[in-house]
Amino acid sequence: MLRRIARLTTGRIALGILATVGLLAVFGPVLAPYDPLESGADILASPSWAHLLGTDYLGRDVLSRLLDGSRVSILGAVQVALIALVVGVVPGILSVYLGRPFEWLTLRLADTLVALPFLVFAVAVTALLGNGIPQAMFVVGIMVSPLFYRVARAATLSVARSQYVEAAIIAGASVGWVIRRHVWVKVLPPIAVALANTTGVGFVVVSSLTFLGIGVQPPAPTWGGVLAADLGYLSFQPWAPLVPTALIMATVWACNLLADAIRDVTGEAGRALLNTRTVRAGLSGAGREA
Amino acid sequence: MSPEPVLAVTDLDVHYRRRQGRLHALRGVSLSVAPGETVGVIGETGSGKSTLARAVVGLVRPSAGRITVAGAEVTAFRARQWRALRRRGIVQYVFQDPLRSLDPDLTVEESLAEPLLIQGRPRREAVERVRAYLARVRLDEELLSRLPGELSGGQRQRVTIARALVTEPRVVILDEPVSALDAANRVKALELLTSLRDAGTALVFISHDLGSVAGVADRIAVLYRGEIVEDGPARAVVNTPRHAYTRLLVGSAPTLRSARADRASRRRLRALLRTEEGIRHDV
Amino acid sequence: MALLSLHDVRIHDGVGDRDVVKGVSFALEAGQAVGIVGESGSGKTLTCRAVLGILPPHFTVSGGAISVDGRDVAGLTGRQWTALRGATVSAVFQDPASYLNPSLKVGGQIAEVVRVKKGLSRRDARRRAVELLDALRLRDPAQVYQQYPHELSGGMLQRVLIATAIAADPQVLIADEATTALDVTVQAEILDLLAELRESTGLALVVVSHDLAVVAQLCDEVLVLRDGETVEQGPVERILYEPRHAYTRLLIAEHEQYGLDRVRELAHVA
Repeated sequence: MLRRIARLTTGRIALGILATVGLLAVFGPVLAPYDPLESGADILASPSWAHLLGTDYLGRDVLSRLLDGSRVSILGAVQVALIALVVGVVPGILSVYLGRPFEWLTLRLADTLVALPFLVFAVAVTALLGNGIPQAMFVVGIMVSPLFYRVARAATLSVARSQYVEAAIIAGASVGWVIRRHVWVKVLPPIAVALANTTGVGFVVVSSLTFLGIGVQPPAPTWGGVLAADLGYLSFQPWAPLVPTALIMATVWACNLLADAIRDVTGEAGRALLNTRTVRAGLSGAGREA
Repeated sequence: MSPEPVLAVTDLDVHYRRRQGRLHALRGVSLSVAPGETVGVIGETGSGKSTLARAVVGLVRPSAGRITVAGAEVTAFRARQWRALRRRGIVQYVFQDPLRSLDPDLTVEESLAEPLLIQGRPRREAVERVRAYLARVRLDEELLSRLPGELSGGQRQRVTIARALVTEPRVVILDEPVSALDAANRVKALELLTSLRDAGTALVFISHDLGSVAGVADRIAVLYRGEIVEDGPARAVVNTPRHAYTRLLVGSAPTLRSARADRASRRRLRALLRTEEGIRHDV
Repeated sequence: MALLSLHDVRIHDGVGDRDVVKGVSFALEAGQAVGIVGESGSGKTLTCRAVLGILPPHFTVSGGAISVDGRDVAGLTGRQWTALRGATVSAVFQDPASYLNPSLKVGGQIAEVVRVKKGLSRRDARRRAVELLDALRLRDPAQVYQQYPHELSGGMLQRVLIATAIAADPQVLIADEATTALDVTVQAEILDLLAELRESTGLALVVVSHDLAVVAQLCDEVLVLRDGETVEQGPVERILYEPRHAYTRLLIAEHEQYGLDRVRELAHVA
């Protein structure tokens, strides 16, 4: 699969960018030229050789903050994706196969999660589990999981009723075989698109949570946090938000490209299932409430 | 003594639950297929022919009656027992539309090897067998790495036929296997299927068109509203049909010669069937 | 004078930059029936669409001439085409359900054609629609009038569509694979109906099918199309008994070797 993706230009670009982002996550904090928390004398300085991307309102080096924040930001996004996969996608696929009671239960749970107010849930989780990025991302992951549940379930349903699955069953295939061999590949493309979008919204949601003091504690840098801070000083440094924005955009764009590439190499089957619009609508709903 | 049937259905009833009452899909259907025999099951939309086909592979649960496959009584089989039976590959199934019955994301090789891998055979052995069967359905080995979307309609149907053969089944159920193909490929597919019959595999052709089956079947059974109204040697059914519906079927099948003259008799048969049943037969 | 005549019609595919129909000619008088046999992709449907002035985008008639009722259609405006379609040339296609609005009762959809094309009042249009349904042997036409497309079977829908197609009394009806998706008994019923219409009203038919037998049942003249080329053309008897082209022979052999003809003929001999 990876090899087939790499044959596409879009796939190569996406993999390239994501690899770079991955390297940033690993080595970013080491590469940072300054301590990201250390305030300097220059406040809101323009880019110079000393501070390549200038400094923020407390005189901290922006480049260092972005590099240092990359690991937390990316790990956060990955965490959201994993939670969505485990809490959303897996039950979504199994809901088609594990019988009526399980189907009913998961459907009602998904409805309940959709109805749950994001903010109240976020506050409740922080109260229970403490305040930190993993907890905040846990909240986001849980909140988007009904969406993944639905997308996975819809994709599985359409595959489960197809003739080739029936043909496999007539040949004696078990449920596990059918899922591994036929269902998984069809569910992957729409999930990949949903994940790509979630990742993008995830960055923004993290920064909006920062305003409320949930998740990221103010001095600790994240991409979203830097962006939020820059937005407050637009009149002094109108160009400043461009850099964190570009980083977030490049990452999200690469995720989308990768999703497209996955869709392309897995053929028409996935194409029909893609409904990115609902994905976006669902997520922007969560974002707005925050 | 006639050999033990490879597939036998006795007094089979299937009904589906509907909002209002029950829908009888099959009523008291009995049919047996001897080893190497080719049986045509003819019926129109809603006659129950698909239900019958699905019942003998365990996709539909009978309400009453008995089904035996290669001597094993399968009527009361549980899911696990069905799986075990299916893995032996005794009964295989070819769907009408080859494009929909092949996974678009699996290469020809993967699709063909699937029944063998499900049986738990090592991959190498499966691949070797696949190559052997590919030759039997006259497909080129270079097609192995292609996806179904990259094949022609005729090639695709030959792939699904090959997939049904790799487990060396004793009976293959063919659900309108040639109606999605064009003339040249229809002839090729039929040639292939008749060569199978000569090799001793029993075939069950399911079709709405008596004409498309008459030339290949040894025996023809006519399903009409869930019941078998006629069952006999193909030639007898075609030339001396007893039931009015069979007569209508024979009269309606598109043939090259002498079709025009039948118009009056068709009209009479339709009227007869309508009054006889007293139920809506508005098509 | 011929009702419909095609003279060496060629159709060009602007995207693939090639001719997809390479010279089709026939002439059709009132009460006659001509059949076109070919696989999907042979150009038979495009030929029909050219006659109706509804070629898909990028397809153009690049040569030859089509004339309907003695009039060359080459220079027709959109408005003139609309006047011609339904009133002079009409058509039914393979999948009847997709040509009917699922949210409207079928009767209203027939009546609409009558009102627009014949200028009848609402009440008269309704009466005419019920008459048409009756003429197409739908039992209880008044009830069918009130039904929605999903309540009707494929055969009934195709009859409703034929009713719509002949509502404005056209002189030529094109049936493009009109019976392909139906059960054989229903197919025979529809074909019988077309034959009766032809006899009673002098309706000329263009019957398009992949099945030579279907065409042979209804038509006087047959064209065999392959890859856009007319490989054989002639009276139906001549085509059936003295086929010249290998492809026609294949179409016949299929019936003789695997079809009903085989069992039947052998029985007669025996």
